Amino acid sequence: MDTITTKLSSEEIFNLMKQFITEVIGEEFVEEMDITPESSFTKDLEMDSIEIVSFSEKIKAHFGEQIDFTGWLSSMDLDQLINLNLGMIISYIEECQS
Amino acid sequence: MPIITVNGKSVHIQELNKGATETIVLVHGMFSNLSVYYFNIAPLLATKYHVVLYDLKSHGMSEKALEGYDLESMTNDLFALMEVLNLQKVHLGGYSFGGLIALKMAIRFPERINKLAIIEAPDPNDDKTRGIIDEYSREFLEHYVENFTDTTKVKMGKRQMERNHRMYEYLFYQTSIKTDMELEKDFFGSPAIETIKQSTLLLYGTDSNCLNAGKHLDGMIKNASLIAIPGDHNIPIQQPLVIAEALLNFFQEI
Repeated sequence: MDTITTKLSSEEIFNLMKQFITEVIGEEFVEEMDITPESSFTKDLEMDSIEIVSFSEKIKAHFGEQIDFTGWLSSMDLDQLINLNLGMIISYIEECQS
Repeated sequence: MPIITVNGKSVHIQELNKGATETIVLVHGMFSNLSVYYFNIAPLLATKYHVVLYDLKSHGMSEKALEGYDLESMTNDLFALMEVLNLQKVHLGGYSFGGLIALKMAIRFPERINKLAIIEAPDPNDDKTRGIIDEYSREFLEHYVENFTDTTKVKMGKRQMERNHRMYEYLFYQTSIKTDMELEKDFFGSPAIETIKQSTLLLYGTDSNCLNAGKHLDGMIKNASLIAIPGDHNIPIQQPLVIAEALLNFFQEI
């Protein structure tokens, strides 16, 4: 698995997240969406729980032990998970890198 | 995405804390997938244990199968998965239909199962339980579209609805799941349940239709203890941390 250690800018993280989302839900669906940092996973991107598992796995595979993504998610309650958006993940990854 | 081959079929698994000495395997319920444990329950258990989650056949990201939804076949699958992962003896937990699979494992392979945790396993002979499959097929989509999905509490969008609809259509009308389940209706009346020797935790919702099934198991399994948790059949989604802590305490008890 690729594990990178270089620090990414928020734009680079955003583009990486978009790439992961495309891989998980398929290009044909992503083309119809306007993905922004405000996009929420469940409401805007319509990702279901098993797709979010796939997305989480991609983050873990990419960043390795640099971040504890599942641990971070597990600290959230249901409402927080529902409202989770891309910007929150970008901020979290940036924090872990600093 | 870890996919392994078990009994000739692709199975999606997730493993946490592989280095731990003891392993917990968790089995999800019908029409669900391993995500019911992945976000809250598994990470807490993984602070102490190696945790293995897998998607049942035709569920989540595991390969589809037309047949083999009876408890014998489902436990054959789990046994084979344990062989592939080289797991000699595990703690086993199961939710709803996964709880029935866990019970059957303890009956068939007692030497491979350490402690047993059963969450909301329904009595297959209960009218309400037997009706669940029909109810699901009739009401699931409209109910879920109007209300919430099982794990995300958000109205389904078009793509999600289509995905779920495809899964239900497949399971109900193409596989043997309904007839296989019908054949299990005497499972709770079987003397085999009384042969379960493992220390067994029964977790049921105080408002669940299945609470009586939990009481029944409590009476049949010698080393069982029943804990009622506020909520209904969906307690792992409603109270994930309460469930996780109850499981962790139970598995850690000496």
